[in-house]
Amino acid sequence: MMGDISVPVLRVRDLTIEFATEDGVIRAADGVSFDVQPNETLGLVGESGCGKTVTGLSILRLIPMPPGRIASGSIELLGRDLVLLDNREIEDIRGRDISMIFQEPMTALNPVFTIGNQMADVLCRHRDLTRRQARPLAAELLAKVNIPEPADRLDDYPHQLSGGMRQRVMIAMALSCNPQLLIADEPTTALDVTTQAQVLQQIKVLQTEFRMAVILVTHDLGVVAETCKRALVMYCGSIVESGDTANLFSHPRHPYTAGLLASIPRLRSERVAELPVIPGRVPDLLNLPAGCRFADRCPRVHERCRVERPPLAGGDGGNSVACHFPL
Amino acid sequence: MEILQYALRKLLAGLPLILGVTLVSFALMVYFGPDLTYQLLGKNPTPEQILEVRHQLGYDQPFLQRYMQFLGEIVTLDFGDASTGEPVTTLLAKTIPVSLILILPGFILGHVVGLLLALAAAYWRGRWPDKLIMAVAVIGMSVSFLIVIIGFQIVLSSSDGLDLFPVRGWNASSLGSYLSYVTVPTLATMFVALGYDTRFYRSVVVEEMSRDHVRTARAFGLPESRILFRNILKNCLIPFITRVMFSIPQVAIGGALLIESYFGIPGIGKATYEAIVTGDQPVLKAVVSLTAILFVLVVVLNDILYRVVDPRVTLK
Amino acid sequence: MNAASMPLRAPTRASGESLWRKAARKFGRDRLGMLALGVVLLYALAALGAWLGWWAGSWADLTGGKWEPVSGVHWFGTNIIGQDIFDRAIYSTATAFEVGLSVALVATVIGAVLGAFAGFFVGSWIDEFLLWCMGVLDAIPFYLFVAAVAYALTDNPWAMQVAMIATFWVGTGRLIRGEVIKLRGMEYVEAAHSIGVSELAIIFRHILPNTAHILLVQASITFVSAIKAEVILSFLGLGIKDGMSWGLMIDESTKEVLAGFYNNFLAASLLMFGLVMAFNAVADALQDALDPRKVG
Repeated sequence: MMGDISVPVLRVRDLTIEFATEDGVIRAADGVSFDVQPNETLGLVGESGCGKTVTGLSILRLIPMPPGRIASGSIELLGRDLVLLDNREIEDIRGRDISMIFQEPMTALNPVFTIGNQMADVLCRHRDLTRRQARPLAAELLAKVNIPEPADRLDDYPHQLSGGMRQRVMIAMALSCNPQLLIADEPTTALDVTTQAQVLQQIKVLQTEFRMAVILVTHDLGVVAETCKRALVMYCGSIVESGDTANLFSHPRHPYTAGLLASIPRLRSERVAELPVIPGRVPDLLNLPAGCRFADRCPRVHERCRVERPPLAGGDGGNSVACHFPL
Repeated sequence: MEILQYALRKLLAGLPLILGVTLVSFALMVYFGPDLTYQLLGKNPTPEQILEVRHQLGYDQPFLQRYMQFLGEIVTLDFGDASTGEPVTTLLAKTIPVSLILILPGFILGHVVGLLLALAAAYWRGRWPDKLIMAVAVIGMSVSFLIVIIGFQIVLSSSDGLDLFPVRGWNASSLGSYLSYVTVPTLATMFVALGYDTRFYRSVVVEEMSRDHVRTARAFGLPESRILFRNILKNCLIPFITRVMFSIPQVAIGGALLIESYFGIPGIGKATYEAIVTGDQPVLKAVVSLTAILFVLVVVLNDILYRVVDPRVTLK
Repeated sequence: MNAASMPLRAPTRASGESLWRKAARKFGRDRLGMLALGVVLLYALAALGAWLGWWAGSWADLTGGKWEPVSGVHWFGTNIIGQDIFDRAIYSTATAFEVGLSVALVATVIGAVLGAFAGFFVGSWIDEFLLWCMGVLDAIPFYLFVAAVAYALTDNPWAMQVAMIATFWVGTGRLIRGEVIKLRGMEYVEAAHSIGVSELAIIFRHILPNTAHILLVQASITFVSAIKAEVILSFLGLGIKDGMSWGLMIDESTKEVLAGFYNNFLAASLLMFGLVMAFNAVADALQDALDPRKVG
């Protein structure tokens, strides 16, 4: 092995995404930067509204562009900036080089077309195949995601399958053209716990087999702990901490991360009067404070925090953190 | 055959409706309607003559009996003779085909063009094509059908206008003359249909465009135009079919009545209008019955088409 | 970390405003809607004046010659027997409002009440019966129905309105039925029920008021439908019998246009078009303003 320098599959730099609303412009993502290495599973964690989903969607330009826009930044897929591509080129990338699966398997598939039909759509779009040729391939893919009797399933309609099966069909579709990156947006949130575990396991296995990177967008820290080697914690549109999951969980450096971890209900040796919760509320995205956006809720806040926004810094084996006074 | 059984069951379920329609119409038009006794008699009728005519018209029988008689006529499709002397069934056979070839082009084109415009409006939602199409739609909705008819007649057919088409009348003996007589009515029908239908279809398309599976299709690189014409369109079919089916009784029949009366076209609409004006009960009874049956057929056909188009719907 | 009771969630806009106040604000910002409302009010004023006799009183008088062109005296010219067209058109505005308002009000009320009953007792015989009624009324072609009612109520000047009301309530009825079915499953209905509020009270005091926004829009749609239907009915001889209406003017004009005289036709058409367009625009703006999904 020559060196350990691997070219990141995805390189996001200073990504800023804005939405024009009746009451003003909202910055859903503000100067987000991160890398995704080949074969790694990166978690993108945060509560609803923190900008993680928007970030995920923006990679494939799936944000509705009239109200939304990519205000600045670059998204490089193996050196090629996706932000600069025109619509035709982005359509080529979607499903072929980068695939995305979504949260609601119930509604993510078209109810009036068969599974086989929809899978053939993807296969024929990106690989030079006729629909007839695509069919056996689709069956193979379904077998790979452990769907019983795959050939028969091809003629079924989505409503005839369970939620877990539908999600697996989505995964099969996502992998059908061997993408280098899979973005999974809350893939298990709408599923029950047992199915969750199965689907996550499926993703893990396939990732190794297909040798692709995965970005897992979720609010569920448990899922992150199980599946992601590295994770980014987002708050109010920016990344506040990033690093190896193990480090993140055992030694969080940002007060928000610490608060998140502390608020997970779990078995404790002694009883507590109330579950610890982070006080206050997320600031209004139309009225963002100058300075650190977590300042109002932070137990370690100082004067400097309210005035100056902390940049993401650190690293060298530990976690990078955006805080003036990290833990 | 599953579908046949289903159709039969639904038809049976539609019987109360047919009964209802015939009951209401019968009560209003025949029972409470004008007393035609004196129309059929000459001057200075004798009491015996009066009684005779009243007996002929059935006025001396109780309501239920007369209603039953009416139902019998429907089943046997024998409504007697119209005031012109010819059997009602002959009259119907003569006029219905005319109405069909008159209304069909406008009806079909109205819906198809309406859907296409709606797709365009939804696709360019918020931009000028959308605003233009919606503005035209509001205008189409705001003008009375009669005004549209007269307006088109003035502009297209009169000597002050373009004088391209005949002012009134009907001659379908050749394709050329058919086209020449059917154009103005067709355009008028389309103009009004575009108003209401385009707006409705646009809202359906817009709603379907916001569905999750559209985002999925996009995420897999399918081009926008294909998504619109394949993925989205098929999901719009159910509301579209319902709309088309249920506009048949009111729009087709009501519209035919107006167009034919105005342009002097010898179809079932004109015959109905004349029957209304002269109080020709046999004809009216026949038309009402046919409309009721048509309505029930439309409901059944609608349900069957649902099953064909949407796999989630089961025939129960 | 000290304990507090706030959930970890991004906040939604806390709005203490009622639906109506918000809608009024939104409507106020809709320039087209406000313009249209102004136009409608102008028409209403014209109608009121004619009705009260302030103007257009001489619509039936022979004040000029045959088919006089537009002039300072006769703003729209005169018709075939010498009556002033402009006066007739303005008087017709009063008729239009009479017909439109009476039909819209009564049809909407009937639709609301019957729809609410059908929806509240969904599945029961009341619902089945009302649905059957709605189906029957839908199945009878409108003009035939008006003719039938005109027969049954021979010589009654309200025959046309009765027929219109009997047809137009169905649309509102179905909408309200659907809405009530949704609302009756809500918790406040359960709550009211559990403390013993009678079903009638629940329907009228708790559920129906929450459909007011639908009813308002429906009433405007019915108003427009009534006016448009009157035109066709008067042409067919089934409409207004005494007085003057746009429908009667257009009926008159059908013979005139073929001789090249368009004033009668244009006056009635344009005036009616103006009112209907404006009303449609107001109804649209209302719908937009009241749409809960577009709020904020």
